[in-house]
Parts: sequence; C-alpha cells; structure tokens
Amino acid sequence: MKKFFIITLWEFFRHFKSRSFLLATFVSPVLLALIILVPTLFLDNPTSEQPRIIGCMEFDSSNVCPEIQKRFIELKENTQNKSVLQLVPIKPDTSLFLQRRFLKVASLKTELDSLNDSYNQIKERRKYIFQKPKTRSREQLLKQTYEELIRTRESRDLTQLEYEKTKTESDSIWRREMIYKADNMLRDNLLEGYLLIDPQEFYGGVVEFHSLLPSNFLQIEAVRQAVQVVIVEARMKQDNIRVDKIQEWLSPVQLREIQLHGEDKQEFDFMITYLGPIIVVLFLFISIFTSSGFLFSGVLQEKTNRVIEVLLSSVNHYQLIAGKIFGLGILGIFQIFIWFLFTGVLIVFNVLKPSEIGFLTLRNAGLFVTYFILGYLFFASIFVGIGSLFSNEEDAHNLNQFMRMLSIFPIVLAVLVLETPNSLLVRILSFIPPLTPTFMILRTPLGNPPAIDFYISIGIMVVSIIISVFFAGKLFKVGSLLYGKKPSLREIFSLMFSR
Amino acid sequence: MNISVENVSKAFRTTFVVRDLSFTIEPGQILGLLGPNGAGKTTTLRMILDILRPDEGKINFDGKQINRNVRNRIGYLPEERGIYQKYKVIDVLLYLGRLKNLSRRMSHVEAVRHLDRFDMIEYLEQPVSNLSKGLQQKLQLLISLLHNPDIIILDEPFWGLDPFNQQVIREKIKALRNEGKTILLSTHQLSEAEALCDYFVLIDHGEDVLRGSLEEIRKNFRENIIIVESPQNLKALQELPDLQKIVLEDSRALLYVDENAPVDLLLKEIVSSVNITRFELSKPSLNDIFLKIIKNSKS
Repeated sequence: MKKFFIITLWEFFRHFKSRSFLLATFVSPVLLALIILVPTLFLDNPTSEQPRIIGCMEFDSSNVCPEIQKRFIELKENTQNKSVLQLVPIKPDTSLFLQRRFLKVASLKTELDSLNDSYNQIKERRKYIFQKPKTRSREQLLKQTYEELIRTRESRDLTQLEYEKTKTESDSIWRREMIYKADNMLRDNLLEGYLLIDPQEFYGGVVEFHSLLPSNFLQIEAVRQAVQVVIVEARMKQDNIRVDKIQEWLSPVQLREIQLHGEDKQEFDFMITYLGPIIVVLFLFISIFTSSGFLFSGVLQEKTNRVIEVLLSSVNHYQLIAGKIFGLGILGIFQIFIWFLFTGVLIVFNVLKPSEIGFLTLRNAGLFVTYFILGYLFFASIFVGIGSLFSNEEDAHNLNQFMRMLSIFPIVLAVLVLETPNSLLVRILSFIPPLTPTFMILRTPLGNPPAIDFYISIGIMVVSIIISVFFAGKLFKVGSLLYGKKPSLREIFSLMFSR
Repeated sequence: MNISVENVSKAFRTTFVVRDLSFTIEPGQILGLLGPNGAGKTTTLRMILDILRPDEGKINFDGKQINRNVRNRIGYLPEERGIYQKYKVIDVLLYLGRLKNLSRRMSHVEAVRHLDRFDMIEYLEQPVSNLSKGLQQKLQLLISLLHNPDIIILDEPFWGLDPFNQQVIREKIKALRNEGKTILLSTHQLSEAEALCDYFVLIDHGEDVLRGSLEEIRKNFRENIIIVESPQNLKALQELPDLQKIVLEDSRALLYVDENAPVDLLLKEIVSSVNITRFELSKPSLNDIFLKIIKNSKS
C-alpha cells in the first residue's frame, strides 16, 4: 500500500509540474472558450458589423416595397431582432433607349385615351341624335356618326394593339434591364441580395430573392416574415376584413419560454441551457483525455527506456497500474477543482453572473465529478493496457490518434442529446460505456433524466471498469515486457483471453 | 543471501524459453549467465525478479520464496537502459529509493552518498538529460545499488560504455563482490565475464549447455591452441599429425590440437616445415569455448 501511494504521488507531481498540464489546464480552456464565445460575441454585437442591405425591387408602382420595408423595421423593433440586415426599396436608372421607348408608350397611351374619349363622345352624340324625332336629317346624321364611330373604333383598336405591343416589349426590356442592373449591384457588393416583386405573382405568394452568397439565403427569415405580413394584409383587404384591426391582429407574438427544473421553473436561456453543459462536457473531456494521455505516454516512455523493468523489480504490476491510474485521476480532479475555482473568481469579479451557471447546482456538480471519475477510470484502463503493448512512440502514435478520434465520437453524437435528451435512442446510447459519461453529463441539466437512468448508467460503468481494468491488467502484465514488433489485433485478443 | 534456481522452466504458448534450468549463487560470488540472443537469459532474470512466474521449478532466496522483504533486497540493472530524462537526478533517486522501501530521509542520504562515491555529486540538482551517456549508465548502476541490496542482478552492465567507464564499473562490481554481495551478471562481453565471474552458466535455447568455474570449463574443454607466426606460407602445416583443425590468417596459423597431443613433437615438425617467428601454446578463451559449444549445439 505504501508503494502504491509513492507511485501515486510521483505520477501526480511529475505531471502536475509538466508544461503539458499547464497548457491543458489554463491554455486549452481559454482557447476553447474563445472558439465558442467569439462568434457569439459577434452575433450579440451588430454594430461590430457593417449594415447589410437587401434591396426590394418591384415591376410596377403598387408600392409594395415601402410597405415591406415598414413591416420589416417593425418586426425588427418588436422582436428585438439583432440582425444587421436593412431592407431598402431600389429602382435602378433606365437607359436612354428605354426612356425613349417609355415616351413612345406614353404617347401611344395618350393617343389611345384620346381615341377612347372621341369614341365615347361619338357614342353620346349618337344617343342624343337617336332621341330626336325620326326625320330624314336625323337618319342622315346617324349614318354619318356611325361611319365616324366605326372609323374611330378601328383607329382606337389599332392604337390599342400598338400600345399593348409596345408596352409589353418595353416592360420586358425594362425588367431585363432592371434585373441586369440589380445583379451588377450585387456583384459590386452594393447589395447582399434583392427581392423581386412581380405584382402578377406577388399576391399569389411568390417573391424571388436573388443573392450571390449562399450564407445570405440562411439569414433572410426576417425579410420573409415581413413579406408574409404584407401579403396577408393584402389578402385580408381583398376579403373585406376590417382594415383597422389588421395591424392589431398581426402584431408579433412574444413567446415566453419557461423551463421546468425539478420543482423550480426558470426562463429558458440558450447560453445557460445549452452552451453551459456543452462547455462542461468539453472541459471534462479535456480533463479525461489529459490524464489518460499522460498515462498512455508515461507507460510508453517507461517501457521504451526500460524503467518499467526497474519499477517491476520493486512493485507488482497491479500496484504499478493502480498507483499510476490513481495519481493521474487525482490530477484530473485537481484540474477540475482549478476550473471550479476559476469560475468562482469570474463570479466574484462579476465577469460571470451566478444565473449564467444556474445549471451547476451542487447535485449536478457532484454528478459531473462522478461521471468524470467513471469515464476516466474506463478510458485510463484502456489507454494503459494498449500503451503497454507498444515499445516505441512511432508504433503507438497511430493507435493513439485512432483512440482520440474514437473518443471524440461521443461529443459528435451529443447533438442527439441536445435535441431530445430523454428519447429512447438517447437513453439507450447513454448506457453504452464509452458514451455514458458524455451523454449523462449533458442529459443531467438538459433533460433532468429519471433517477433510474443514473443508477443503470453508473452500474454499467462500474461493471465496464472492472472488465476493462481486468483486461488492462492482463495486457500490461505481458505487454510491458514485450519488445520488438508491434502486436497484431489477433495477438492482442489472444493476450487478453490467455490464462 | 544466496539464490537457488531449481529445475525452472518457462514456456510462452508451446515454445520453451527456459527448460529445466538450475544453478545456485552464493554471497561473495559472481555468476555469469551467458548465452546468445534469445537463449532465455532475460526471462531467467525476470523470473528471479518475480516479474515473471516460472511454469515449473522454484527459485529460493536463502531457502525462502520471494516476498516483499526479499524484493527490497534486490538491485536490478536492466539491459538497454534509459531513465526519466526530464527530471532532476535527486528526484529520480528519491523516487526509486523509496520504491525499495527506503524512508524519504534515507533515500536522500543514500542518494547523496552514492553520488559522491560515483564522483557524480555535482549532478545532484541537474536534469538527467544533462548527463552524458556514460554518466547516465553510471547513474543507473547507482540506482540498482542505492538501497544497499544483498543481491545484485546486472543485465549487460558494460553495454555502450567506453573503456574508461567499463573499467570503473568493473572495479565497482569487484568491490561489491568483496563486500559479500550475491551478483548475477548476464553479458555478451565474454572477455568481461571471464575477468569478473567466479562461475559460469551457459544457456542456449533455454537449456543449460555448460557450467562451472573457468578452470573447470577449460579442463573439460579438452583442446589446446598452438599459435604459429611465420613470413612463409603456412599451408604446409595442414599435413601435421594430431591436428583437429587449422585456421590460416595471413602470416598466422591457429592449430587446434587435442589437450594430450605431444607439443614438443609438434614443435619439431613445425620447425622442420617452416621458419617460425612465434610459437605459443594457448588455452582456449571463454569466447572460443562459447562459440564452439553454440556451434555444436546448432549443428
């Protein structure tokens, strides 16, 4: 027992003083925090970004764009949307050629209006004549005006045709020209994108959004909502619904999100509910793999330089493994303690609000440490068993990389916990030993799992640790004395199950 | 404390690494455990150290099986050594001393005393990586002696050392024998073994193929070597009577003859055949005997 403690202390202090431990304890968490928090800071602080302009362009003068802009601003204000998007109606300049064509269209329209007036006047005159007594002169006048009416109608119809043809052509050229110019504004980075309102399709609910960058398509939800509001308003007007009530009916809904925490209730906060537990899992992950990594490289190093034989001439295999695992486990707990302390300092200096770590109750902290110990013992025994099989860093490097990749797997699967922390799939995955620590640590604040899940997961971990320590002991006993070629997978299994 | 290895065997799966091996080492004696690579030397040492358990036979220390106290009385220097490079010499000595059941204070006292005896006291507070290879080898021998063990097991103690440091280590080992320590030396350097060991056990494929003191081995190895040097061609000597084997090397011939061969008659025959500049009757070295036995064993 005395030698066990000597090994424990040696392993603790030799790694505690190492540069790797300082890096893992102080530098890695700061880097991790920066990686997680810096993007959210940018999201929180729209002034740090230039406003991003979305244009709104319509093919007639129904003034839909100003209406959408008005609604967009209202939505932004009411929902405290921190988007840096700004919606602006745009009207690109028309070319000289098109201006001439529009003049021609206008002139044709005037002519058409004039012909229409003339036609109507002739019709009125004929009505008047017709009401006079039936005389020869009346008949003569009716005949005269009839010919005049036919002539004017023919002329009007021809002008109408000419007008429509010219207008359609001009409109078509104008649309193409406007889109071309708006596209150029996109290319010149004057706009992030633009809405294209075609009145024929708009009230049917179809609006086009043009943009260069794929990311812009993901950020126009607020614009879509504003368009939706304007279309719904227009449809309501069509159906004769009280206009004065529309504004009231369409006022945005404010959803207060209240989460149940055991007997308590608390307003939902993304930072506290999701980000906090993820950061805790990542920190525990750093801690487990810092300690297990030290164990792996320590065993490998001692085996490479044959110190292990000197050690084994003084203590037995089990004392040596137990001393190493225990010493580095204490180092891991010490690392977590430093982080707890650091969190406390941040609270004292008001950098962190106590409400922001509301999930870190005494019960949860106890569960986190329990799952850290279980996770560490499980992974450490696997690392020490496998580390003892290799006699140089080069051979062990690939396996070490593979093991680390495998250990990231639970973090990747953790998305499932974030979505449905108490689903059947997540519950089953929580009982698979390599996933248990990560999943249970995430589920504890997110899903408030039933007590039975804690009992089962802890029971499974304890049994798994006994099995992994047993096999690690067998591998270490033989592996620590093996030199030469690296063992094949078949040989490793053979060693594990040999008597 | 004596070591008694009795009919010890060890097999890995179906291959015997050590088979029915027996020997005894007494205090004040150095036993040389010799053999080619893969002969089973390291496995034998590991069984004595209780790192491996024998499948058959027993290993006793003063008639008792290994226990915690015996383990603390053994000093071991493994083959192909290294040591914790980043740590201070004193920290490494304190840790390994404490694992040999020395108190913290005693570890410190013994560390300082041994560093002084090995002329390394100035390296006390330095990291091991600052020491030259020779000094690191000395430090490792020092580690195996730190707790003043009764039994010292040295696996290739001269490996990688320059002649000066080899001499230093040789003198240390001799001094330890004079102090009454029980020493088991495993080495490939047979000239060193010949100069140091009192008793030899030669093993091959895990089996004991030769044992005894140097005199006993030579006596049993009934062969003499006559060394002849001449400026003339020595091929004529191939016709000599009682010749077991001849090795011709430039201006020298090694004539292997039976121990009872008439040397005076042979000398007359040689002188009548060629003009000689040197004639020497030599006993075979341990190396010659070793090579011959291993060769016979292989054939």
